[in-house]
Amino acid sequence: MPQWIAAALALMLTVGAALAHEPRPGPNGGKLVDAGTRYHAELVTTGTTEVVVHMSDANDRPIPSDGFRANAILVVNGQTIRFPLQPAGGSRLVGIAPVPVPAGARGAVQITSPQGATAQARF
Amino acid sequence: MKAAVTTRVSLLILILAALCLAVMVPSGPSRAHEGHDHGAPPPPVSTTIAPRADASSEEFEIVLVARDGRLQVFLDTFRGNEPVQDATIEIDGPEGTVKAEPDGTGSYGVAAPWIAQPGDYALAITVQARGTVDVLTASLTIPAPVAASPPAAGRWAAFVDGVLAADLRSRAAEGGMAVYGALAIAFATGFCAALLLRRRPAAAAVLLAFALVASDGARAAPPSGAAPGPAAAVAARDIAQRFPDGALFVPKATQRILAIRTLFTEERTYPRSVELPGRVIPDPNRAGYVQASVAGRLAPPPGGFPRLGARVTAGDVLALVQPAINATDATTQQLQARELEQQMTLVERRLERLRQIQSVVARAQIEDAELELAGLRLRRANLDRAPREPERLVAPVSGVVASVQAIAGQIADPGTAIYLIIDPDALWVEALSFEVRALAAEASGRLAEGGALSLVYRGSGLADRNQAVPIQFGIEGKAGALRPGQLLTVLARSTEERRGIALPRTAVVRGANGQSIVYAHTNAERFVPLEIRVEPLDGDRVLAVSGVEPGRRIVVQGAELLNQVR
Repeated sequence: MPQWIAAALALMLTVGAALAHEPRPGPNGGKLVDAGTRYHAELVTTGTTEVVVHMSDANDRPIPSDGFRANAILVVNGQTIRFPLQPAGGSRLVGIAPVPVPAGARGAVQITSPQGATAQARF
Repeated sequence: MKAAVTTRVSLLILILAALCLAVMVPSGPSRAHEGHDHGAPPPPVSTTIAPRADASSEEFEIVLVARDGRLQVFLDTFRGNEPVQDATIEIDGPEGTVKAEPDGTGSYGVAAPWIAQPGDYALAITVQARGTVDVLTASLTIPAPVAASPPAAGRWAAFVDGVLAADLRSRAAEGGMAVYGALAIAFATGFCAALLLRRRPAAAAVLLAFALVASDGARAAPPSGAAPGPAAAVAARDIAQRFPDGALFVPKATQRILAIRTLFTEERTYPRSVELPGRVIPDPNRAGYVQASVAGRLAPPPGGFPRLGARVTAGDVLALVQPAINATDATTQQLQARELEQQMTLVERRLERLRQIQSVVARAQIEDAELELAGLRLRRANLDRAPREPERLVAPVSGVVASVQAIAGQIADPGTAIYLIIDPDALWVEALSFEVRALAAEASGRLAEGGALSLVYRGSGLADRNQAVPIQFGIEGKAGALRPGQLLTVLARSTEERRGIALPRTAVVRGANGQSIVYAHTNAERFVPLEIRVEPLDGDRVLAVSGVEPGRRIVVQGAELLNQVR
């Protein structure tokens, strides 16, 4: 009997709460996805060549983008475009695409944190 | 009283142990936070397989395998698991963008010298194939070799597997290890105390001695056999294996060899099917018997008797029957012949006399006598010939000789079938229904050896036969190698309907316990058996009514081969 109680207790404690999140609308009008285990990233494309990624932590609180580097690989009109993103104040990483990027573009962003760890976000 | 105290103490100790476990063992779902694409990534399968990463989108599924300084890339369609051969694949990795080239074996390859360095690598894979462009992300972890890890961690690795050790290492680096160490020591001490309390000092001593020896032994000897280091021995080829929970790890290379294909399940409404026992019969309009109408001796036609299986056309002479004449008939014939000859002589004489007195008799009298004589001669000639003229047996329909009873010289009775001619392209199926049902026009048949036929309802009898009503179906399209009399199961559609997921019969296999199972393709290289309940649908498919839900990828080709993986 006591063994059963102990086992049940152990089971309750080991079941974690956090599950993988699906892409969802972000606070800045873009698509918010998880980037690795520690960050969330929101991609905002508005039909211009400017592409913005807003960085936040696992609880969706914005974090300063200083020191981050990122590389975007987006699919526009059936073509793949690649361009870097730079910190632009606040939680923003901004890059200029070679062609205008429509809203809701698909692709991926590779993010390198100030500590050198890499994370990816797929939109 | 003392017993109660010890019970309470041991309960306390066990709870403490559970807490230790809870803190130390990494919990599954929270680890699943990485990856994101399609639920939890598979747990590490074995330490001897090459490091790998997989990713999937709605279109594609990709697996990257790191081996010998190269990345091998397997690209398949997500829904069907079909290899995609003509794709352009670019990988954005630690050394910029590189293009993977087809390696001639259905996969792609790219040089990746960076995989020699342990670490986590984020890879973005751009796939351009079948008119679409897709970007997938994958994280490739190259584990550190055991020799390079610090000695303390190495000792831990002897007790736990590489991943847990890595996790402990990271926790140790964060400085929390002292707490765990203290907890573990507290647990061990408590356990020994409990044993002492229960008056089992010998057991406690043994345990202590064992702990000391184990810690020393682990420091002295590197782990061998049971738990080799992650990068210690990567086999030249990954092999498929089964986990204790029944799930399978099947490397992409093996999936290609076994030609594993999947079906994306969808729920639909299907007519309910009724299974009826049936057998193949010849189409009555395109089959026929050849029988003699008189008793006689069989003789071969000019080309010989057609052999079994020969193709004949309607009107071909298949045999000759020489009518047999018995003694009575022969006597009667002789009698007739004599009578005719006698009459002929009389008429000849009369004609002669009439010709001598031509001038005084009417011309008509001479002509009458001439006609009478001609008639008698014809009858006499027929009498000679008639019994010797054989009967020609001709094929009533075009088709194939299905059975032959003909032997030269045999006496054929009228009514016995000498030949059976069947057109193999015109066969029907007759099924027996034990209850009267409203059936739809379409049906299908399943042969014992696994083939399927498309059938169309022709009609049903009302007369009872063996307590059942015969129902006839025509066979649509090519019947293939069927023979009349062959048994089959007819799946007739009734007018009732029901919802479910249609699966090919090849998808359903027997599990080790005898239950019907299908394999679901959950991750790129992982297959999970699902118990299902099926009902008959048609010759090729069954209807899964429970156990599988829409939107899953079910193995429809190669399931039997997967089932053999141990």
